[in-house]
Amino acid sequence: MEYELRDHTADVAVAATGDTLEAVFAATADGLAAASRDDEPPSDVGDRFSVSVTAEGREALLFDYLDELIYLRDVRSELPVDNRVERIRRDDDGDERWTLEASARGIPLSEIVARDVKAVTYSEMRVERVGGGWEVYVVFDV
Amino acid sequence: MSDVTFDADDVTLERVSEFVWEIPREGEMRVPARVLASEALLEEIKEDKTLEQIRNTTHLPGITKYAICMPDGHQGYGFPVGGVGAMDAEDGCISPGSVGYDINCGVRMMRTNLTYDDLNGRERELVDSLFANVPSGLGGGGIVESGVDTVDEILARGVDWALENGHAVEDDLLHCEDEGMREEADPDAVSQKAKDRGKNQIGSLGSGNHFLEVQRVTDVFDDEIGEAFGLEEDQIVVLIHCGSRGLGHQTCNDYLRKIERQHKGLLDRLPDKELAAAPAGSQLAREYYGAMNAAINFAWVNRQLIMHRTRRVFERVFDRSWEEMEMELLYDVAHNIAKKEVHDVDGEQRELYVHRKGATRAFPAGHPEVPRAYRTVGQPVIIPGSMGAGSYVLRGGERSMDLTFGSTAHGAGRLMSRTQAKNEYWGGDVQDELEGQQGIYVKAQSGATVAEEAPGVYKDVDEVVRVSDALGIGDKVARTFPVCNIKG
Repeated sequence: MEYELRDHTADVAVAATGDTLEAVFAATADGLAAASRDDEPPSDVGDRFSVSVTAEGREALLFDYLDELIYLRDVRSELPVDNRVERIRRDDDGDERWTLEASARGIPLSEIVARDVKAVTYSEMRVERVGGGWEVYVVFDV
Repeated sequence: MSDVTFDADDVTLERVSEFVWEIPREGEMRVPARVLASEALLEEIKEDKTLEQIRNTTHLPGITKYAICMPDGHQGYGFPVGGVGAMDAEDGCISPGSVGYDINCGVRMMRTNLTYDDLNGRERELVDSLFANVPSGLGGGGIVESGVDTVDEILARGVDWALENGHAVEDDLLHCEDEGMREEADPDAVSQKAKDRGKNQIGSLGSGNHFLEVQRVTDVFDDEIGEAFGLEEDQIVVLIHCGSRGLGHQTCNDYLRKIERQHKGLLDRLPDKELAAAPAGSQLAREYYGAMNAAINFAWVNRQLIMHRTRRVFERVFDRSWEEMEMELLYDVAHNIAKKEVHDVDGEQRELYVHRKGATRAFPAGHPEVPRAYRTVGQPVIIPGSMGAGSYVLRGGERSMDLTFGSTAHGAGRLMSRTQAKNEYWGGDVQDELEGQQGIYVKAQSGATVAEEAPGVYKDVDEVVRVSDALGIGDKVARTFPVCNIKG
């Protein structure tokens, strides 16, 4: 799994790839963290916390996951890094329902130089199966 | 319409008159799209997705006359930055994505009676003291940190809350749009998550393109209006650019998602999901309007607290009271907002949701919604430039009601992406160059932010203002140049 920061006139875009949906979601979340900081984060600081999200579709799930990470960043005053998505599940009992279980390591914002990424957007969002893996493209408002 | 055209890849614009270009109606477009720009600016505008986005905007239900892109327009998400769209308030829609994530992102300018000479030699001390006292960046806290009860009061009452709590004087309210309070604010329509994000950020700049700048007035182009605005050459002024922080960003996303769930039929007919709109008259339209107005109040309080803190910093640095330095609010403008306003549409007075995303209201002299202090001269419009270029003060122009629903540009507009800027510039070099060559003292939390906001990444603000002035939508009054700049 990996991510790249891409050009966008006013904002910043993340393109990510992964073998599984879990891997590509986690890579996108790491891209969000990379867009938020100047330098590599210290590897030995911060505790892990868990994140869970429920949504009505695959793109909505990615949107809500990234939105939740930005929310948690502000209320915990920690930048979520080393993102792991443990499980994504789709239930189809009448309505489509997606759930995600994830975790991240929270680095206190006081320990790093970090910048505000304001929000995740749906603009040009793509979640696609390509070959045997997955690709994601997301634009963030900064 | 003349037969002069401008070809921009898959879009052809027809020239209506000087600086007014039109993308004619076709397919699902409900109205034409217009771009107000010189050919030089059009050459820049056509480089990204701005034209496609302004054209997409014309698909929104109830949009009247035309969707308009200002001279500083650039690609956004859904609605372009620098876009104006007016939707009928009865059978149109209101669109959170067309307001923007940072609800009531805006600019205020405070006058002083200091001159550049008074500041000369004290720049370093002033920039350090401002940086130490005005929270910026991520996780820097706020001037006021409180519980959700306080957030609720701020959402309901706006700057009136600041007045009661010693962060404002009566005069500040009289020089702010709507006297710093939107009556239609509904704090209950703002989610708990949004309030939780907001409570530690009351009175904070944030990062990105937000900043606080001490500037000197370099030119006054119109003496009479300059006098009415209290501006003269060599005077020191303070410009503050920020918005509603996490509270506003969360509010926008909360409503985008609600619309997606409740009005999927409408959403599926739009060419971009970020244009998500709630039909006028629906429960969700009412709730979003209430929540957005509450976030507007929050942003006004945010800028007010920063301004009042700046007064205290000046008191310490210059060792006299802020009243003695006549540090008074000139005006506060919002450039990410939707407001119910009455406009003339084909000879009929109609109530519209006027969306201004990266555009500034610019009402002319005599308009009843211009604060009393400026009603005879027109509403002040503040256009921030980049760090190395000037900013402008305009006044609402005579033709703004006809051409732009009473709007003009909001800034220089970006030219280069943030990632490219970081490859081309290094924050430290930019800082040294600005200080050494132009006497501009910059202090930031993040070097990358300085690189991303380097003067070269922006469009030429002079050209943007020239077009606004020539069109008569916002007339040039004065120009300012930075002395000290702090950012996140």
